Amino acid sequence: MTRTVLIVDDHPSFRASARMLLESEGFHVIGEAEDGASALRAVEELGPDVVLLDVQLPDIDGLEVAARLSENGSAPAIVLTSSRDLADLGLVRERSPVRGFIPKAELSGAALEALL
Amino acid sequence: MSLRGAVAALGVVIGWGFIGVGLFTWVRRPDNSLGSLMVATGFAWFVGGLTGSNVAALFSVGALLSSVYVVTTVHTLLAAPDGKLTPGDRRIVIWAYLLVTVGVLPLYLFFDPSSQCENCPDNVFMIEDSETAVDIAGTAINLIGIVLLVLVVRSLVRRWRRATRAERRLYTPMYAAGVALMIALIGQLALQSAGSEGNALDVAFVIALVPFALVPYLFLGSFLRARLLEGGAVTRLMRRLNETPRAGRLRDALAEALEDSSLELVYWLPERQRYVDFAGRDYELPTDDPSRAIHAVTREGECVAAIIYDAIQEAEPHVQAIGAAASLALMNERLEAELRAKLDELRSSRERMLQIGIEERRRLERDLHDGAQQRLVSMALNIRLARAKLNEDPLAAEQLLASAGEELDSALEELRELARGIHPAVLTDRGLGTAIQTLANRAPVPVELGELPDERLPAAVELAAYFVVAEALTNVAKYAEASHATVQVERQNGRVVVEVSDDGVGGADPGRGTGLRGLADRLAVIEGRLEVDSEQGHGTTVTARIPCG
Repeated sequence: MTRTVLIVDDHPSFRASARMLLESEGFHVIGEAEDGASALRAVEELGPDVVLLDVQLPDIDGLEVAARLSENGSAPAIVLTSSRDLADLGLVRERSPVRGFIPKAELSGAALEALL
Repeated sequence: MSLRGAVAALGVVIGWGFIGVGLFTWVRRPDNSLGSLMVATGFAWFVGGLTGSNVAALFSVGALLSSVYVVTTVHTLLAAPDGKLTPGDRRIVIWAYLLVTVGVLPLYLFFDPSSQCENCPDNVFMIEDSETAVDIAGTAINLIGIVLLVLVVRSLVRRWRRATRAERRLYTPMYAAGVALMIALIGQLALQSAGSEGNALDVAFVIALVPFALVPYLFLGSFLRARLLEGGAVTRLMRRLNETPRAGRLRDALAEALEDSSLELVYWLPERQRYVDFAGRDYELPTDDPSRAIHAVTREGECVAAIIYDAIQEAEPHVQAIGAAASLALMNERLEAELRAKLDELRSSRERMLQIGIEERRRLERDLHDGAQQRLVSMALNIRLARAKLNEDPLAAEQLLASAGEELDSALEELRELARGIHPAVLTDRGLGTAIQTLANRAPVPVELGELPDERLPAAVELAAYFVVAEALTNVAKYAEASHATVQVERQNGRVVVEVSDDGVGGADPGRGTGLRGLADRLAVIEGRLEVDSEQGHGTTVTARIPCG
């Protein structure tokens, strides 16, 4: 079954590259969002299987978006991404309601699949 | 000899006492009214003595004006020690003068002296002998007199209570004699109103004479002691100054010498045109506070410091003497205060600079993250994608690589821009003139270049001037809607003056927006100043003046 993905990132160039990359590896990118608020709306409207979520968004922090999404019982699988290192972000993976983290430069369908 | 005879003899001594001390004070302190007041009291006293004359006219004038000396005495007491009356005291004194000159007239129109003494001459003012009229007028005058004397007592007591410790030490005997005199006079008037005659009145009169006679001598004593104390205070101060050359102790020494713990000492820094305290902090002189007096200490015609002291001290000459004695020490402490003020300013500008540094790093990190880093990330993704498609779809792979190449060019350009923002290489290599030319060439608005320096300037000056031009031209491009701008950099009187002006919409506010404020802070570190002239509709001129030895 093809997994549906929502890409949330404020850089259009990354969204475009990520869409191409993931679609070439069999994912179906059903939407893009450029900030936290539109991401929350898009999840509600589109109901993706996976949300690829940038940690630093211009309005709401990515982790906060993840927390709000997981408040609903049927939350999508959330994978965080960033151009910064995991260590630089100070994330505590165990505590956050996300599947995992992929550095932006290492994004690939296989890397995403591995976390789902 | 009768009691009145003895009093008459004493009277001469008393009168001359007032006149003598009055003249002495008048000569020493011509600007103080107390001397003349005491002389007047002496003469008024002698006028009262005319009641001893057998010539009817002299007797009558003496009798009519026999109480004037009381009022001049009251005036003296209330005006002590500086010779000035408060508005309330002035009212009391004016009413009292009116009472003993005009107010007593009705009495003497009906008073026949022969009713009180056998050999008295006639009262030349008498129009009719009426004991009833005399009783009524006399009682009224006495009652008004009592009220005025009570007011005088109240005023004296109040003044004593408000006096500083130093003043009390000086003037308590005089105030005490004054109050005793008033009480004795009140008693005298009360006895008269009650209809007492003869001995009781005479005794009351003699009792009142004692404090009255003492007034000039007590005043003389206070005056001489004040002079002595003044000298003593200066001597004490000099000793303290020699003993304690420790920094910051001068205020304490002055406070001690003037016995005023509230004393403040601030130093005038002519360069900054402001006062600072010893710690170098800015100080505003209290201009609207009537309880604080200010004395500016000058040395060789130049203001050195200001002493702010308790106004109740009324000790201006005293403070002047102290200030003059301490002026050399004040000059030394002022140097220290100036140094501290400079240190303070350095400290705060260092903190500001640190803050600017932190903010710049933060902006740099953000610019790197949002710019070059993002481009490199998508480049990495595109290259990976291209590699995956290389065999099955070479055309798509080529497109991906082409777009990766574009991203790479953009990333390089952004990195170059960023590096220029950190420190423009052209400035280091070629100097300010060339660096400004490249800024002008890159600006989207046509820039006309005026005078630019050919020679190299200190690196800090070049960098500051460069950033002024860069920031101003960025603002011209972003906000000014200008058709062209001009830039010039001149050397004027040890300063580099950078001027960027445009013909745009104006209305720039240096208080708002971080660009111009950050620039002002950068300049402040090297003691430069930024001026922004930007009237709405009349273009903007940004001028920076940077000291450059």
